[in-house]
Amino acid sequence: MTELIPEVGSTVALKKSAFNQLLATLEGMGYQPVGPRIQDETLQVGPVEALEDLPRGYTSEQEPGRYRLVYTGHPRYFDITPGAPGWKQYLFPPRSEIFSVHRKGKSWTIDEPSDPPPIYAFIGVRPCELAAILVQDRVFLREEWSDPIYRTHRQNAFILTVNCAHPCGTCFCASMGTGPRATSGFDLSMTELEDMFLVEVGSEAGRMVVAGLPFQPASAFLLQTANRLLEDARKRMGRELPDPQDLPGVLLSNLDHPHWDEVAKRCLSCTNCTQVCPTCFCWDAHDQPSLSGDVSQRVREWDSCFNPDYSYIAGGNTRPSTRARYRQWLTHKLGSWYYQFGVSGCVGCGRCITWCPAAIDITAEVAALRKEAFA
Amino acid sequence: MNNDPKELTAALQSIPWFQELEPKHFESMSSIALLKQVEAGEEIFHEGDKEDYLYIVLEGRIAIDMFVPGRGRQRVYTAEPMDVIGWSSVTPVVRQRTASARAVLPGRVVCLDAPKLRQLCDRDHDLGYVVMRRLANVVASRLLVSRLQLLDMFAHPGKEAAND
Amino acid sequence: MITQIPGQSSAIDTSRPMLPYWAEITKIQAEAPGIATYWLRFLETAVRDGYTFHPGQFNQIYLPGYGESAISISSDIEERDQIGHTIRYTGNVTQNIGRLKVGDVLGVRGPLGTYWPIESAKGSDIVITAGGVGLPSLRPVIYYAMRHRQDYGRVVVLYGARTPRDLQYTHEYDAWEKAGIETMVTVDRSDESWNGQVGVVPILFYRLRMDPRRTFVMTCGPEIMIRFVVFEALARRVPSNRIFVSLERNMKCGLGQCGHCQIGPYFVCKDGPVFSFEQLEPYYNVEEL
Repeated sequence: MTELIPEVGSTVALKKSAFNQLLATLEGMGYQPVGPRIQDETLQVGPVEALEDLPRGYTSEQEPGRYRLVYTGHPRYFDITPGAPGWKQYLFPPRSEIFSVHRKGKSWTIDEPSDPPPIYAFIGVRPCELAAILVQDRVFLREEWSDPIYRTHRQNAFILTVNCAHPCGTCFCASMGTGPRATSGFDLSMTELEDMFLVEVGSEAGRMVVAGLPFQPASAFLLQTANRLLEDARKRMGRELPDPQDLPGVLLSNLDHPHWDEVAKRCLSCTNCTQVCPTCFCWDAHDQPSLSGDVSQRVREWDSCFNPDYSYIAGGNTRPSTRARYRQWLTHKLGSWYYQFGVSGCVGCGRCITWCPAAIDITAEVAALRKEAFA
Repeated sequence: MNNDPKELTAALQSIPWFQELEPKHFESMSSIALLKQVEAGEEIFHEGDKEDYLYIVLEGRIAIDMFVPGRGRQRVYTAEPMDVIGWSSVTPVVRQRTASARAVLPGRVVCLDAPKLRQLCDRDHDLGYVVMRRLANVVASRLLVSRLQLLDMFAHPGKEAAND
Repeated sequence: MITQIPGQSSAIDTSRPMLPYWAEITKIQAEAPGIATYWLRFLETAVRDGYTFHPGQFNQIYLPGYGESAISISSDIEERDQIGHTIRYTGNVTQNIGRLKVGDVLGVRGPLGTYWPIESAKGSDIVITAGGVGLPSLRPVIYYAMRHRQDYGRVVVLYGARTPRDLQYTHEYDAWEKAGIETMVTVDRSDESWNGQVGVVPILFYRLRMDPRRTFVMTCGPEIMIRFVVFEALARRVPSNRIFVSLERNMKCGLGQCGHCQIGPYFVCKDGPVFSFEQLEPYYNVEEL
């Protein structure tokens, strides 16, 4: 035990048995901890009240178009890579009310949603997922304006990342520079060792949480063990995507590459990839009027560039073919995103690969496009 | 028909592609050319006529109409200054006018005698090449305009949007 | 392209950018079958006094119960009390706007998007080439050029519509001519009343004599028309950074956030709708982009 509160940037060691105390501290501060848990034989994200709620002993087998939850009985609590649901649904809810209006004479009054936004502590965010949150920060919180829904959910969120020791078959965070270790943007970041969690303090909020816990200084041995673990993980990625920074040039000068026709034969335009992708941000807004027409709710919902109506304009559709829509998704995610937001839209989490029913693997598609590319 | 040679020469010299002709070709073309004043409403040629002249509009506006039984005269094009009309008189296959030409505004046109023009081109292939190249441009331009008209690019969209 | 940052002289709340500002309809002017100009005046004096826009920008017009539609602002930028929007009734939102009367209230968010380069064009000739509903977005440029006529060389308006009945703003052409704006009009299809030109808008451009060293081309209309105007302008050696087009895509947020309006790396609502052709060149001939 030590009286000193660890500084931001320092790393301490916490016995796993003390983790429940960490959760209790968060709850005491008003947070609702949510994290990975097994529910209905799948990996979900839900309330986490104790260490025992976590998917200890579980891992997943992930390949293009294939996901299997496997119980191996291993002793680790956080050693499972992300499933389909992620953290996007909390910061950028699939469906939210922007405002509602009700008629007042000839004019209208606006009512904004007044329910206080929930305050979550995200427990077990993977470095790739953290990178995705930071990407979405650039999308929703800009110098010129910010989205109030994302803003209020985001400013309240506590982020506890867990570095990845065992990447799965579709992971390529190392190629994208987003993992397997989180470097910044978290409140706390943990590496799971045998009996201990190494906890890196990332913010003032993180400091406050750790302050009352029975932590110990992180010994050189523990730090070295963690480093080795994560170095090994970096080398065992399931996939790779070399030189992602070159992709804007490569993709945007190969918009008529014959390979797009190849992918189009397989893609079902089902929108799975955009739903599981933690950076995809497209949304649609529509009105829901009452029968009398005196009240209307303006609702925002997730949309996808694969939806046929996405590019509808009066008199036609600018992207009627699957080929065009797939090309839009890939060139946006790995190409245009750089021009628009200064970073890649892809964090290497591999979800789109796992959850594609046609088993399309973007790392393979990019490799095919690079072969005989024109630039 | 106006036969003042000075006026004819000045008129021909105002046409850009005539300015590019070699002097001997300019002379040949002059020798088969006439100037014609047209009044508003005057018909220059009629659908079905056997072709006799190729025309170059100097001033005014010439409407090109086609007659559609049941719908009447349909205006498909208006020729403005420097446009060529009646080109069918020089192309080999077409035997009669496929449209009528009527002046909408008063103006002047250059009339080139078509049989004599064909003769000149047969005898002097260099002149023939220049003339045919010019006509190829005219026909290509008309084709593009017709295609764009056909595509009906301003047509109101038929399908109602689900959401705007 | 120069973008007006929302929040400065505008009806956008930077902390809640999807919230509309209310404006009443002060006048409805029928322009052509299926097209009318709606004049809107903000209800709040502070918004009305603070709202300014540039030619080529648009507002998101909100009809509660139905949704929003992106409409180009078609009135004079120096007319501060009321803002004109020329609307064609094409979909659910616009057709229901068509049922409104003077005094009814609509929501407005804007102004949004990039604008025509009226400043950089000073000292040069301007050729405005518009087709159909492309003219509303360019009318503010015409008004500006009329007001600052000596700042420009030749100012030419080339305009076309499907039939003579579809021509917009016909009552203004004389005033434009009198102010030194050369105005040439054509229709695709004629009727008995028409003694004007018959042909397509690109051919007006084709026939025009111009000096490519000092000409700015500004064009808006169906994309296929734009394509051929640009084609001809390039053939005349007008440099691609002096050819400007206004594009249209499915817009929802108008802020470059919902993703719908993208073409290549650009958001048409934020990096456009006015683009220089230089920006579009790499992407222009890619089908279904």
